[in-house]
Amino acid sequence: VIELRRAPPFATVQDLGFPAGRAFGLPRAGAMDPAGLARANRLVGNPPGAAGIEAALGGLGIRTAGAVTLAVWPPAELRAGGRSRTAHAAWDGEPDRVYEIEPDPGHRFCYLAVRGGIGVPELLGSRSTYLPGGFGGFAGRRLGAGDVLPVGAAAGPARERPTPELLPLPPQEVVLRVTRGPQWEHFPEAARSTFLSVAYRVGRASDRMGYRLNGPAVASRGEATLPSEPACPGAVQVPAGGEPIVLMPDGPTVGGYPKLAVVVQADLRLLAQCPPGREVRFREVSLGEARACYSPLP
Amino acid sequence: MSRPPPAVYPLGEAAWTVVLGEQVGAATHAAVLRLAKRVTRRGWPGVGEIVPGYCALTVCFDPAVADPDRLRDFLAETAQQPDAAGSEPAPAGALHRLPVRYDGPDLAWVAEHTGLDPAEVARRHAAREYRVFLLGFAPGFAYLGELDPALVVPRRPSPRTRVPPGSVAIAGSQTAVYPLATPGGWQLIGSTAVRMFDPDRDPPALLRPGDRVRFEPVP
Repeated sequence: VIELRRAPPFATVQDLGFPAGRAFGLPRAGAMDPAGLARANRLVGNPPGAAGIEAALGGLGIRTAGAVTLAVWPPAELRAGGRSRTAHAAWDGEPDRVYEIEPDPGHRFCYLAVRGGIGVPELLGSRSTYLPGGFGGFAGRRLGAGDVLPVGAAAGPARERPTPELLPLPPQEVVLRVTRGPQWEHFPEAARSTFLSVAYRVGRASDRMGYRLNGPAVASRGEATLPSEPACPGAVQVPAGGEPIVLMPDGPTVGGYPKLAVVVQADLRLLAQCPPGREVRFREVSLGEARACYSPLP
Repeated sequence: MSRPPPAVYPLGEAAWTVVLGEQVGAATHAAVLRLAKRVTRRGWPGVGEIVPGYCALTVCFDPAVADPDRLRDFLAETAQQPDAAGSEPAPAGALHRLPVRYDGPDLAWVAEHTGLDPAEVARRHAAREYRVFLLGFAPGFAYLGELDPALVVPRRPSPRTRVPPGSVAIAGSQTAVYPLATPGGWQLIGSTAVRMFDPDRDPPALLRPGDRVRFEPVP
């Protein structure tokens, strides 16, 4: 087991989400940066979708009860026994030692992987925490100091299979590829070209359900809502006010707002990692280009 | 009555949305569910989740496996085929009877807004059989319609931050039961003890699209 000695305001157990709930209103949910979780998992020799801890808004302190192998992504400051270093690779945790992890504040989410994965029970095909429903993960809630998390049995080769490096967010502006949304034609040409040419800032009112974008309004013509139809993570919804909202993994499975565009799945994690205030731009690509970079698992 | 040919739009690189009509109603919805059934039966390689809306069906796929352009053509053609009987009846879904106590905090407001007395609001709400159009908003949240036109009211001007699970609510021409404690802007007219969603149950959601629902008043 591992024990949380210090939890940030927002930490949950996440894997790659619920595989088959959208028809009954359960979104995919799961890690906001699936490739980030997968990278941390690979460092410890886990399958990419093993459950880990997703931490936001601060650092973690953990105590390991037995010998366990740990890794974080993005690389974070690691303090233990009076020493400090940047953790780029996995490390072997010693029994009964406290590790303090200080994530890089330039990224919104930091993933802690444990060899064997966090061993909470599987529910609806996932170990992810679905906070809006209060179920899944660890007791359906955020983690707090004092929580003791089970660690699963390790399978597969020992850690550090050579894996491609996953680059952190670019230091300057983030460019997100998009394809045309189902209601692209509902938007006037001026709104579409505005959307594809200006920089938006990630708004403060952004969470695991959706990220608000602050910038020029891009109102659709005609009806502000349509009969509710399926939505998906990455869909750029435009409510009546015209400020776009990008749906994120916990976002609703259906919606009545027109969808101007859809962020390419491989790029959604970049948006997820943007702290409030970061500038993002959108670049249109063809469905063919978007499909070429699609991967069902990161 | 003829419909315009169905339109197929991309919902990202890994899903098609087939729009089968513009008007919310039983006929369009029957076409949505019929298409869902046909796609499921066809077992197209690489197709994953199939998600119905009021007037549209979304079919998710793995682009590396599904041959997306051929899938789009298949969806467009299949959506245009009439059903075997040449008419529009949807297969009758399961009928659920939900006991309701008409004691919601907005019942008095709804009565005032509609000019009916609270007992009449309850009577009219319980007088119809509703169709489950789709699930969404929250796990197990089923959009039921259509409501008695006399009961059509707007949403609350500002949503409640927490609606108790089991709350029976109305808004526009729809009614629903909140399955989980979530924020919500619909008018709460009653409550039921039936669990609409239970993640430990299989299937977890009580209702599925095409099912029918009757509300039965209990004291």
